[in-house]
Amino acid sequence: MPADFAHAMTLALLPEAMLAGTALISSLLAVLRPGLRPDIHRWIACIGLVGSLAACALVLLGLRHVRSGVAITMWNGGFVVDSFALFIAILACVTALCTCLISDSAVRNIPSRSSAFYALILVSTAAAEAIAAEREMTTMFVALALLLVCLVALGALVKTNPRGAVSSFEHLIEGSVGLAAVLYGLALLYGVTRSTNLATVAAFVSASPGVIALGVALVIFGLCGIFGVFPLRQWVGRVASTVPASAAGFIVSMSLIAGGAALARVTVARLGPDVGIWRWLLPIVAAVALGHASLSSLKETTVSRLIGQLVSTQAAMLLLGLLAFTTGSRGLPAYGVTAFLSGLGVTAIATVAAFGVLAMLQVAGIGDAIENVRGLGHRSAPAALMLTVSVATLAGIPPLAGFLSRVLVISSAADTHYGWLAVVAVGATVLTVIAAVRFIATLYADAGDEVPFTLGATPLLSRVVAGAACLAGVALVVLIQPLLAVATAGAGTLR
Amino acid sequence: MSVILSTIVWSPLLFALIALFLPERDDDQRTRVRTVALAGGGVSFFTTTFFAILGQIGLGQGGGLASAYQENHTWFWNFLFQAHYDLVADGITLPLLVVVTTVFGCALFHSWKIHERVRLYVILILLLETAVNGVLCSADFVLFTVFWGMLLVPMYLLIRIWGGDGARRAAAWFAGFHALSLALIIATVVIIVVEAGVQSSDMTADLTTFSRTAETVGFWLSFTAFGIAMAIFPVHTWMLEAQSKASAGVATILSGTMLLLGAYGMMRISLVVFPASAHYYSFAITGLAVVGAFWGSIGALRQDELRRFIGYMNVAQMSLVLLAIGAQTSVALVGAVLLLAGQGLASAMLTLISGAIEERTRTTSIRAMGGLVTQAPRLAGFWLVAAASLIGIPMLAGFTGDFMVFAGSFPEHRIATVLVMASVIVTTGGLLWVANRVFFGPVRDQFARVRDVTLLDLTVLIPLVAAVVLFGVRVGAVVPVIANGVLEITTRITGA
Repeated sequence: MPADFAHAMTLALLPEAMLAGTALISSLLAVLRPGLRPDIHRWIACIGLVGSLAACALVLLGLRHVRSGVAITMWNGGFVVDSFALFIAILACVTALCTCLISDSAVRNIPSRSSAFYALILVSTAAAEAIAAEREMTTMFVALALLLVCLVALGALVKTNPRGAVSSFEHLIEGSVGLAAVLYGLALLYGVTRSTNLATVAAFVSASPGVIALGVALVIFGLCGIFGVFPLRQWVGRVASTVPASAAGFIVSMSLIAGGAALARVTVARLGPDVGIWRWLLPIVAAVALGHASLSSLKETTVSRLIGQLVSTQAAMLLLGLLAFTTGSRGLPAYGVTAFLSGLGVTAIATVAAFGVLAMLQVAGIGDAIENVRGLGHRSAPAALMLTVSVATLAGIPPLAGFLSRVLVISSAADTHYGWLAVVAVGATVLTVIAAVRFIATLYADAGDEVPFTLGATPLLSRVVAGAACLAGVALVVLIQPLLAVATAGAGTLR
Repeated sequence: MSVILSTIVWSPLLFALIALFLPERDDDQRTRVRTVALAGGGVSFFTTTFFAILGQIGLGQGGGLASAYQENHTWFWNFLFQAHYDLVADGITLPLLVVVTTVFGCALFHSWKIHERVRLYVILILLLETAVNGVLCSADFVLFTVFWGMLLVPMYLLIRIWGGDGARRAAAWFAGFHALSLALIIATVVIIVVEAGVQSSDMTADLTTFSRTAETVGFWLSFTAFGIAMAIFPVHTWMLEAQSKASAGVATILSGTMLLLGAYGMMRISLVVFPASAHYYSFAITGLAVVGAFWGSIGALRQDELRRFIGYMNVAQMSLVLLAIGAQTSVALVGAVLLLAGQGLASAMLTLISGAIEERTRTTSIRAMGGLVTQAPRLAGFWLVAAASLIGIPMLAGFTGDFMVFAGSFPEHRIATVLVMASVIVTTGGLLWVANRVFFGPVRDQFARVRDVTLLDLTVLIPLVAAVVLFGVRVGAVVPVIANGVLEITTRITGA
């Protein structure tokens, strides 16, 4: 790959630089030409995201002949652009691109601040890309903090009711608690190891087991909060229900992507199999998270919070994949990380799809309560169908991609002696399936008294993108192999 | 390359997609929607009948996994195991495919009796048909699970939306039990792909490396999962609720296809993948069969509601199939497949007729009915044909199945077989007693204007009667085909 450091740095940071640069241009334009149409900022953001994707493609092109899967390593290995980082970067860009294209409803109420809206999307996408490439814990923490601030600001920016501001503040507090846990954990680990490289922790486990355990536990808890699973997951439901849907979809899915990337980097790649604490802590977190989120999904009364609970359950399900990263029951390589990455892709797209459909309903004036979508099948068949597919994908109802990703994750966990956790996961799947089936029945079985409506108030492009994201839930069942191939490459470099 | 099986599986879905875009504002448009749906079911039925099973019968030596229709493409491979889009129709699958496509065809004809939300109704039926055909044709565990899970939402909605009073509860029962069944199947599949060590989810692979624990756990998980779907005692309650509360067309699909799928899964997975455990626990299986047979037949006698009576009859019939599964001889298993075909057709007929009776008399109570033969002699005739098939009268679909199940089970479990045979006497008595209560006796004034079968009823019932008679008369052509399919199972059991 690149011969000198300057080249390497340019290439490694090109995807992030494209996004940051575009965000800067958009902000400058807003200052210089305050009355510019929101559409202009949206298309600028899209160009930035496509540019970032092109930069990723450029690095991928160079990776074709590199067997290790590592394209660029910089700063003593602190920043590495490998197949894993590229997978996350591409996923983050696609998610952001979909959000930009369906964000019409979110920026409709804030035309004067649309540049800030898109700039925050671009910067948080850049932060997620950086998190995936970071192996140095201090800079990873900075990137996580940047992501949190951007996402909280995004939620606060597009608020349409007073509750939205409170919710963003609560998100900030909860996220800060998570980040503080990560920071305290890292500080403890640094105190023992004198290094911010978590790969060195294994050598000190026997010397200070208690401190190491506490440090690792704090880091895991904090990252799980960003990932949207127990114990710091209340923000998911709050953001889902109080922030306009297209922005909420981005906040939840980007947190999922970045949190997942950070967890994978820290646990699988850095702590590895030699630091035992996370390998018994994470299963407990996963089990409790699965139980809590899936049971909560049964009692939700609003569509947005139901989607939030389903995303949380799916995220907790993905933790099983991280545990299955060494060797399987028959001595063959485990495929947990592959299942994790492919599941992450499916979940992120399905989340954007579900919130995209919700955004269209909001534009059409349909309230968030499940009562309000009663009989939606009569009133708008396309809306009901899209909502059905996206919720069913998140809930893991066959034959959609969410189900397949769950089967992959569960089988990889069972293969690495986490059979009990697989049983919990299957149980959680039953609960989410029941919750989703009840919701789908509300859409079709009950007659709504309200008059029919169309989704015509939402621009065609937004409708097409949301529809395509829903369709991805079906298409990825057939096309799971390409996704698995890419995920396998990403998992290979992580291990 | 052959795409016969893909056509059978996916054509209903294709036509469902077409129906999705059709308007349904007036009667003409609704008729168009129904016609398109019927075409979807028809393609599946005719492909099954003319290309698949007649082809196999024509070959004479047909059936068996090696010579049956097969389509195989690798689905994904960058994982712990390889999965395949693998469709196979062997000797067991083909007759059952004929039955389910016939029942679905009749259910789609029956949709002419539905006047509200016709498009959704036929789309859900077509989705369900895709899932049912997919389950029957899948030769890959993951694919099988996907199709199995696909049954849940359409059937739930069909029961709930078009059902009568109490349909909500019945649908909830169905969803709960089916979700549990799905969970158990996922667990079974995970055990298979993890423990078998073949790195493949191919059903036809040689899976002989299970540990004793994995084999036992896998067997009981799959047995329970398929037992729920088969509505065997004591996990039959969902079926009774659904059978009595769903609309007649939906209840027809339920009794004509869903129960059959459970038995098929039990034969295809519980017996083939876990043969040692299946053999070891055969006594327990036959014990359940005996209890279920009496529970079903005696329970039926205590019913006043016509469709609950049919539900209990289904429990009793499925117990005969369970007896064959417990016996695990080739004769008994061939009989079980024939019995499944006969039961599916006869039970579907009884359900449709009971729907027609309820529609005319405005009551579901057996006690309130009587003397209908005067006003509706043809309806009575159809009921008697269906009942005769369930009882096992020669020349009808049920006879050979009953006979072969008992003949094949007796050498293995003599007492259990005798007891189940005794229960059949009770079942027979029950069917005749209900026929007497409903159709014979004094004519009641309130039913004086009851109409006999309409053209639509005939259109729905005649294909079922034809199938019942064909399976009874031409059984000699079907048995070799089924026997070749069963050979796979008995070879595994003998090998274990």
